[in-house]
Amino acid sequence: MKPMFTMRSGGPGSWALRLCVAGVLVALAIWIPTSSADPTIGYCLDAFTLMAAALSLNLLLGYTGQISIGHSAFFGIGAYTTAIGVSRWHWSPFATLPIAFVVAFVVGVAVSLPALRIKGVYLALVTLALGLVYPQFLKWKKITWLTGGTRGLDKAGFNFGKKNRTYSIFGWKPFGDMRANGALPFYFWIGLGIVVVAYVVCRGLVKSRVGRSLIAIRDNETAAAVMGVNIAVTKGLVFGISAGLCALPGCLATIRTGNVVPDSGYILVLGAIVFLIVMVIGGAGSLWGPIVGAVLYVAISVRTSQWSKNTSKIPGIIRPFFSWSKVPVGDGIFAVLLILLMFVAPFGIVGWCKVTSAKLVRVVPRPAGTGTLSPKAPVSAEA
Amino acid sequence: MALFLQRLFDGLSEGSIYALLALGLVIIYRGTGHLNFAQGEMALFCTYIVYQLGEWGVAIGFALALGMVAGFALGAVTEVALVRPVARRSMFAVFIVTIALFRGLNWLDGAIWGDQVLPNSATSKQTQFPSLFSNQPKDFWHILGANITIQSIGILTLVLSLTALLFLLFNKTKLGLAMRAVASNSDSARLVGIPTHRVLMVSWGLATSIGALGGVVFAGVNHTVNLGLMFTVFIYSSAAATLGGFDSPGGAVIGALTIGVVQNMVAGYADQWVGQQMKIGVAFIVIVGVLLVKPSGLFGTAKVERV
Repeated sequence: MKPMFTMRSGGPGSWALRLCVAGVLVALAIWIPTSSADPTIGYCLDAFTLMAAALSLNLLLGYTGQISIGHSAFFGIGAYTTAIGVSRWHWSPFATLPIAFVVAFVVGVAVSLPALRIKGVYLALVTLALGLVYPQFLKWKKITWLTGGTRGLDKAGFNFGKKNRTYSIFGWKPFGDMRANGALPFYFWIGLGIVVVAYVVCRGLVKSRVGRSLIAIRDNETAAAVMGVNIAVTKGLVFGISAGLCALPGCLATIRTGNVVPDSGYILVLGAIVFLIVMVIGGAGSLWGPIVGAVLYVAISVRTSQWSKNTSKIPGIIRPFFSWSKVPVGDGIFAVLLILLMFVAPFGIVGWCKVTSAKLVRVVPRPAGTGTLSPKAPVSAEA
Repeated sequence: MALFLQRLFDGLSEGSIYALLALGLVIIYRGTGHLNFAQGEMALFCTYIVYQLGEWGVAIGFALALGMVAGFALGAVTEVALVRPVARRSMFAVFIVTIALFRGLNWLDGAIWGDQVLPNSATSKQTQFPSLFSNQPKDFWHILGANITIQSIGILTLVLSLTALLFLLFNKTKLGLAMRAVASNSDSARLVGIPTHRVLMVSWGLATSIGALGGVVFAGVNHTVNLGLMFTVFIYSSAAATLGGFDSPGGAVIGALTIGVVQNMVAGYADQWVGQQMKIGVAFIVIVGVLLVKPSGLFGTAKVERV
């Protein structure tokens, strides 16, 4: 079939499209924290948490092909770095973000060392072991002085004090009321910042020389090594960056609630499985996949969470399919969706959209050497 | 000495339950090279079926047999309908399908039977999940100062005899020969006329039905069944299979018993340092150590890749 439209990459049509998308996103980002109810902002924060975590996992799994079921541990490292820094040593929560990145980076590089030798199923199980051991490690009695053991740590978020500091620009209050429970818009901006950082880092890596070597490792490790990709350094780097990025949403989770316990939320190994599901539903190996997946995951979870308690909330047409369930049906929907996707679109929703839109719109790539990054001087034969 | 024996017995009885699931993992891995992440949840589904049969008044022996048949069917259908079509695409797709089954089956259990611990006084006729072996408080043997319950001995015997049966199946029957042929090279196996598809279907069915046995035994030891029952067991059994080598049934059993014993010994003798929390950590440190020296486990065969 011949595509209906033709668009030149970098031409006016593609720029108009990009500007439209960017405009809608910016409008949403300004509208949500200031004009919507607190629960909505909370769901957005849930989505941001999943987005950043799934983006980091995508770097490792979608692009490099290294299965990790241990990202919950990196998430937990972030959560606990913030908690320990703020609660024990009274640092600013902002200062703990880069520290969490560095700590998780180091742990990630350490995990990449066995990954050089252990492959496939065995590697998946080693990362699973990491995810399992981490919550237990937090409860270990030799480390309780630092982590607070089973009870965890509290007073780990921002301390706004008694004063109600409200920043307002011509009556627009971007941070909301900065009190103990009213600072959700403020957290929204932190979450958005973390997602933007994760996205920019992933995009920068993937579209660079490093990104191409990641894909080469995924497609055929031996061939990549033969072609001159330094497997050890590349894997170490991608494990480290992926772990570091995954720590950031962990920090966000702690900052938002102000406390942390070892057996909660995404710190458990089930969190790593949720990250995996989000990433695969959205699209493994595409930059927008984790973002779309996270929005969908949160939307479906929120929408279906009350269905098992109150069947009248289910829309009439689909009520017979879901009314018999005694537990929230979200997990069932995701399971069916995952299996369906593996049959029809193994690269997730975003991957499917790319394939479908390619049938409608033909994107003409830029001729080589005309991009903004073209070398100043032509490469000479001697070089 | 008595304390040592006690810890040894405790470890062995813990390990023998992991061994049942690990055997299933190994059978599937040998056949297709896939890690069945849903092994524990498939077993749990069958355990719930056995519980339901018990509610209807079926005796435990018969209910177990039916549950294992259901497990065989579940495994075979999974292989034919879900795993085989996506296996052509990639290993990753199969991994995701098993993850989906892991979440989906757990949800299905909850959707049908609810998320409370069963049996409970509100909804069930049974007072406790029926055990395969007699487990009255007085049912134990006294050996050199250590106590070992009849139930532990029963489970250990069950595991060892099952391993022996599997050994006979793999090495002395035509089906076992076909299974080994498919495991070693499925393309060549098909060329010489082995019905590869049927062999794989039987492997998955067999693995799931052994898993179902493991689930029922473990629920019997716990007296209850709940949604989180098999997760930890699955983790330990996958660790056991990793330690023993993913393609060796004997290795998986030895790995499972080793993990059980090492855990109990370490937690017992180094209580000051390790304690109950980090005993899982010790088990995994041992495994990662072994993998670094032998990347395919203690008894696994190393994969030689042609470039």
